[in-house]
Order: sequence, then C-alpha cells, then structure tokens
Amino acid sequence: MQELLNTFIKSAFVDNMVLAYFLGMCSYLAVSKTVKTAFGLGLAVIFVLFITAPVNWLLHEFLLKEGSLAFLGESFATVDLTFLKFIAFIAVIASMVQLVEMIIERFSPSLYNSLGIFLPLITVNCAILGTSLFMVQREYTLAQSTAFGAGSGFGFFLAIIAIAAIREKIRYSAVPAPLRGLGIAFIITGLMGIAFMSFMGIKLS
Amino acid sequence: MKFLRNFLETIEPKMAGNKYLHTIYDGFATFLFAPNSTTSEGVHIRDGIDLKRTMVTVVMALQLCLLFGMFNIGHQHYTAYGLYPGLGEAIFTKLAYGFLQLLPIIIVAHVVGLGIEFFFAAKKGHPIEEGFLVTGMLIPLIVPPDIPLWMLAIAVAFAVIIGKEAFGGTGMNIVNVALTARVFLFFAYPTEISGDTCWVAYDYNILHNIFGMGAATLQELGQTVVPDGGMKKLLVDSFSGATPLALAAKGGWSAVADQFTLQSLFVGDIPGSVGETSKIAVIIGALMLIVTGIASWRIMLSMIVGAAFMGFFINMFGGYLSTEVFGFATANPFFAVPWYYHLIMGSFLFAMAFMATDPVTAAQTMQGKLIYGFLIGCVGIIVRVLNPAFPEGWMLAILFMNVFAPLIDHWVYSKNIKRRLARANG
Repeated sequence: MQELLNTFIKSAFVDNMVLAYFLGMCSYLAVSKTVKTAFGLGLAVIFVLFITAPVNWLLHEFLLKEGSLAFLGESFATVDLTFLKFIAFIAVIASMVQLVEMIIERFSPSLYNSLGIFLPLITVNCAILGTSLFMVQREYTLAQSTAFGAGSGFGFFLAIIAIAAIREKIRYSAVPAPLRGLGIAFIITGLMGIAFMSFMGIKLS
Repeated sequence: MKFLRNFLETIEPKMAGNKYLHTIYDGFATFLFAPNSTTSEGVHIRDGIDLKRTMVTVVMALQLCLLFGMFNIGHQHYTAYGLYPGLGEAIFTKLAYGFLQLLPIIIVAHVVGLGIEFFFAAKKGHPIEEGFLVTGMLIPLIVPPDIPLWMLAIAVAFAVIIGKEAFGGTGMNIVNVALTARVFLFFAYPTEISGDTCWVAYDYNILHNIFGMGAATLQELGQTVVPDGGMKKLLVDSFSGATPLALAAKGGWSAVADQFTLQSLFVGDIPGSVGETSKIAVIIGALMLIVTGIASWRIMLSMIVGAAFMGFFINMFGGYLSTEVFGFATANPFFAVPWYYHLIMGSFLFAMAFMATDPVTAAQTMQGKLIYGFLIGCVGIIVRVLNPAFPEGWMLAILFMNVFAPLIDHWVYSKNIKRRLARANG
C-alpha cells in the first residue's frame, strides 16, 4: 500500500511527465490556452493512462517479454517479441483514445469541438507512450504500473490546468512581442518545473 | 527638502531630451516626492497611496528584520569566538560588523536589479516600475551572507529578466521574484546554499583592519579560543552552525531543545538566514503590513491554520495512524515534533509575512486567498518534514502555490459565475 502511494506521488509530483521529463509537450502547449479545454484533455489523459498502463503491462508480461510465450510449447520458450513493444503499445493506446473520443463526442460535443485534432493526437502523446515504456524499463508490478499510470495522468492533468490558468491570467499582460504565445509558455513551463522540484526526494516513511 | 525639489526642477529640462536619462530622472523624482500630476479624464479611484508608497511601506516593515539580522550576524560571529556572549553586550560593534557583511549584498542586489529595471523601463518608454524596491530588500534577507557576489548578481538578473520582465514587468509576474532568485541559487549552486547548516562569520572583515574594533587581535583569539585547532581553524573563513530545523530532522524536538531555548528561538539569537531568525521583528513587521492594509491577513491566517493542521496531522500520522492504521512505522524523528513548534522554527513566519502575501503572485480573490494560504501551510510542512532533500519548505511551497494561484482564482470565480447564473435563471 505504502509502495503504491509512493509510486503515485512520485510519478505525479517528482517525476512529472511534463515538468520533469518534458514529455507530451505538444498537446500540453497547444491545448492549454483555456482552462476548460485543458481540463477536458487532462481528464482524457488520466483515463487513457489509467487503462493503458495495466493493459500494456499484461501485454508485455504475457506476450512480448522473452520467454513469455513458453506456454505455447517448447519451441516458443526462447521467442523474444520485445521489438514489437512500440507498435503493440501504440495500438493499445490508439484504441483507448478512440474510446475516449467516442465518449467525449457523445457527452460533450462542445469539448469535442474545442479539443479538435488534439484529441486523436493523444495517441502519439509521448507522455502516454513514455509511461508504458518507463513502466517496462523500471520493471514495475501490475499494481505499481496502475498506480504509475494514474499518477502520471494526474501529474499531466495538474500541469496542464495550472499552465492554462496562468495563460488565461497573462492574456492581457504586456509580454514583450517576441515572447508572446509559445515563447512565454515555455518560460512558464520552466518556472513551473522549478516549483515542482519542491517534492524532489520526498519520502513517505 | 526645498533644496532637493529646486535641484530636481533645474535638471528636469536637461533630462527630458534623452530617453534613458529621463527615465532615471522620473524614477528618482517620483520616489522622493509624490507627483502632482493627476488624471483629468474618466473615472478613477482617488487615493493618497500609489505603488511607490505601497512598496516603501513593505520596505519599512522589513527594516526591523534587517537590523536584527545585521545584529545577529555580528552576535553569532562574536559568540563563536566566545566574546560578548550576552545579547545586550556590544550592540553597536555587532551591528557594525553585520552591516559591513551585508552591505555588499544589498548593494549588488540593488545595482543589478535596478539597473535591469531602468533599462527595460527606458526601452519600453514607461516610467520605472517600483516592484524591485521590495525584492531588492528581500533578497539580502534570504540569501546566505557569504554568497559570492557574482552568483548573487546572476541570480538577481535571472529572476528579474526571466521571472518578471519577460512577463511584462511589475504586477505581471507569476512567481515571486525574490524567491526565484533564491531558488535559482539553490538549484544552480547547491554547494553554496544548503540550508542544512548555517553560515556563521568566522573571519575578520574590514572592520577590524580599519577601526581595530573587537578589542582582541586575531593572534590572541587564535590562542585563547581554539586551543587545539590553533591557527589552523582561523584560516577557515566561516564555520557552519546547525539550524534548529537540521537538528529537528536528525533528533526530533529534544535535539532542538538541547541546543536552543524557546526564548532564543523567539528572540532570534541563533544561526539562521538573515531575516528570519527574530520572530519578534517579523511579527512586528507583519502587524505593520496588516494595519496598513498592504498585506492580506487572510493569507497569513490561513497559512498558520494550514501549517498547524498539517503539523498536527503529521504528529498523528507519526504516532497513532502509522502503526495502527497504515501498518508501517516511521523512522523520521521529525514526525514527532509538536505542531506548535513548527510555527516558530525556521522561516515560517518570515515567509508568511513577506513572501506569501506578495499581492501580485498570490491568489486575488478573497476565498482564493484563504485556500492559497492554507495550501502553502500544508505543502510547506510536507516538504519540511517528509523531504530529506530540503530542510526547509517555505520557499518551494510558496513557489509551488504561486503556480497554482491562478487556478484557484479561476475556480473561485467560475463557481461564482455559476451560482449567480443559477440565481438569475432560477
């Protein structure tokens, strides 16, 4: 229990996907102009990550990992399908995103319209693929992967709604002309990264 | 006064021609005298106070902390040699020593910061913005006094350019500028500013060479005070004294109580950052800000409540909850430090009075301020207790909540809009 909580908090605050690894910057910067759309995208990312992390874990553990096909027979015991990791993970992610897209279109057409192309683009959001790959690399268990997925999603959600609120606030600020738009968004992201470093090294015991 | 005004009036036409010169002229003239130009058109709030007066009030509120901080540098220095142990002894010598230690930092912070402000103001064709007056005063109070001056200059430049001017100047920044400077030092030069132990001046500065103050010579002290270390020890510029927080992290409250009395924690004759050691000076400053209405009492109050709540929760967590409910024991002795002691250790009060209440970066709505302060209190205690990497949490807690302040405001006003819409429609 403590370990799961630790994984969750670590992935949400310390190793934040956006602010510590700078993954998923594309949708993070593009959809953070208003809080409302950022909120929707953040929730979608939480959902996708929460589902894909354990599904990908199962996929990796029972189909892709070296020797995991041994149950099919002797000759499969040495088969190593890890080279299929990327394409398999992406396929899972894409199908989850498709699901989210259908749900959002059904229940909130206005959000669906304002997210536009960035909703299907969650598929190629590095934060999501990154979560699955980190999970394999760090050799998490199934429960840990779920906590890690949820934590990463929550971290992305926090980061994107925070920057969206800031960008709404500074909309009428006298930002120097060359920095307007994305320039200042990058600077804000950097400053937010510093602020999130407050949890670096936190330990729950 | 008359003389000054006449002087300003005579040089005014000379300054008007040059863009840069006029900006500087205007900045100083309005700093010394309230300008008599008023806006004639439109509806305006008429008030005797402008941004310059607001900032100066904060600077005034900081003076007591600064004075005590200077005194404390001297006090720690002489106590380290075993001289003048009493708090009331040789006050002016100690003050002069601390003043000379701190003066270069104050000068560098102001020259670099104001220089950049002047440049940007002239470039934009705006009058000089006053925000740096407070920042420049805060920075000497929160950086270690032995920081190399070039590092300080880089940190100040980073904070003013990236933290403030990139966002459009005073009033537009999203993170506190003084804290940005300190956090830059903290992460860029971690060896200079650990926070675990604290700098106590051990060297003799210019004071002794020029005035021969301090009664004893270097030679004499080397032999009487540090007999075993001898002169070797004196070659070290300064030595580090553990702060109450570092002790608490290692041995809980009892370790702190062994070394410091409650009274000295309160009065402030202990090693620590320049500004924060004296709780009395900070409280007087805070009261000044509350009475003049410059700082929000909501933030201060809710921050105390937040810290007390989190401290209490952690006490519970360390005692009852962890063993009975969660099933894992805590090895961290910090958990057992009673929550009320958290409020007088470290820089809690200083951060509360002068950092969290920064009107620009705090939440703007009334309700938002309460939430903002409460969360700073919680996050600060979490970082302080649970994070072994940082002994003190307020700088990072405030930066963290600075980032979320616009979000809190957004939540408050969208809730308000919803409520009023429902009332109008229903």
